[in-house]
Amino acid sequence: MLGVDSCLAEVMAIPGALDAMLVDHTSGMAVAFSNSSGMDADRSAAALTEALRATTDGLARTCPGDVVRIDDMLVTTDKGHHLLRLMETVFEGPLVLYVRLDLDRSNIALARHRLQSISSRLTT
Amino acid sequence: MTQLDTLLASLAREHSTGALRIGRNGTVYLDDGRVTYMECAHTPGVERLLATRGLMSETKLRALQAEGGCERLLADGPVTAGELQYAVLSVVLDAAFFLLPATGSRPKFRPGERHWLGGQWFFDVAGLVRECARRRAQLAQTWPSADVDTLPVRPSPRLPGHGVTLSRIQWEVVVRSDGKATPMELAKQIGRPCYPVLLAVRRLAAAGLLEPPEPSRPPPAERRTGTGRKTTAVAAEPEAAEGGLPKRTARQAATARPPHDPEAAPAQSLGPPVTGDPTDLALLMRLKKALEELS
Repeated sequence: MLGVDSCLAEVMAIPGALDAMLVDHTSGMAVAFSNSSGMDADRSAAALTEALRATTDGLARTCPGDVVRIDDMLVTTDKGHHLLRLMETVFEGPLVLYVRLDLDRSNIALARHRLQSISSRLTT
Repeated sequence: MTQLDTLLASLAREHSTGALRIGRNGTVYLDDGRVTYMECAHTPGVERLLATRGLMSETKLRALQAEGGCERLLADGPVTAGELQYAVLSVVLDAAFFLLPATGSRPKFRPGERHWLGGQWFFDVAGLVRECARRRAQLAQTWPSADVDTLPVRPSPRLPGHGVTLSRIQWEVVVRSDGKATPMELAKQIGRPCYPVLLAVRRLAAAGLLEPPEPSRPPPAERRTGTGRKTTAVAAEPEAAEGGLPKRTARQAATARPPHDPEAAPAQSLGPPVTGDPTDLALLMRLKKALEELS
C-alpha cells in the first residue's frame, strides 16, 4: 500500500518524468507535487481540473447515452507528453495523477502502464 | 486576520501540540505547530464518511478508536493509506472552510491532546487559510449569489434546453433533493464533504437548473450556534441571467449569510472581502484585458 508521498516518488521514478502532481478533482487543489522545476502547482491544478471537466463535458456530448468516465488523458506538446490519470477513491474523488514527461527520454506505453499500477496500489 | 487565524498562527509559531476547542463549533488539533485534524459541527468527519459509504459501522470505528487506532484501521483494510490521507485532507479542508471564519465563542486550548486520526497529513496554518480563501473565490466565481448555499435545493421541473451534462455530485444532489433539504443537509445525506456539494449546487444555479426561491417562503433561520448574524447587504445580482434565471429580489437577498461567507465575518483577513459583485468582476476583467494589451 502506498501513501501520497511515496506514490509521488514512484511517479517521478518513471523514465523521463520531469514533474508530477496529485490533484483533487472536486476542488481543483494541488494535494502534493514535486517541486523540481518550479511549476505553479496551485494554478496548474485548478486549470487542469477545468480542462478535465470540459473534456468530460465534450465527451458526454460526442457519445450521447453513455456515462463518461475518463481513465486517462494524454496531451502531447512540442516539448513533451502530459499524462493524467484519474483514480477513483472510496471517499471523494476522483484524484488526478499528473505527470509531465520528456519527449525524447520517455516511453508513453511504459509510463501509462506504471501510472496504472501506481494508482491501483494507492487506492483500493 | 480574524481572531482564529491569528490564534492558530501564534500556536503554530510556538510549535504547540494539543487541541483548540472553538465553543461548540469544532476543534482544531495541532501537532508541533501544524494542524493534523479539524472537526466542525457542520461538516461530516472521516468517521461519518466511512460510515455513510458503508465501509465500516460507527460502532466498529469507536472500538477501533479506543483500541488500535489508525494502524488497526489500515490493517483491517477498508481503506488504503493513501485513501485515508486523502480523506483526512478533504475533511480538514472542509472543516476549515466553515470553522475559520467563525467568531463569537472563546477558543480554549488544551495542550497535549491528540486526535486518533491525526498524523495522517500535516497542514501549515498559512496554507490552510490560503486554500480556504481560494475556495471562497471559486464559489463566488462559479455563481456570485450565496443565497443558494442556505436555501433548499429545488431543481427546476423542466429543463430549459434539450440536454445537459451533470457531474457525479450534481447527479447525487438532484436525485436526493426533496425541495426542503439545504445543500449542507444534502451533503450529510450523501456522505460527502460540504464544500463539493456547495460548488455543485452553485454550478447547477449557474446553468439555470434551479427553481427560483419561493417568494412566500420565509428565509430559513441560520443554523449556526453563537454567531447568528443577519446582514441586510444586498447580494450580488447576476448580470446576464442565462437561461431565464431568476433575478433575486431584495427580500431574498436579506437571508442569513452562510457560515463561510466572508460578509458574515466582521473582521476579514486577506485583503478586501470576496464579494463576487458583478460590477467589480466586470471592472476587474476590463483591467485584466487592458493590462494584457499593454504587455
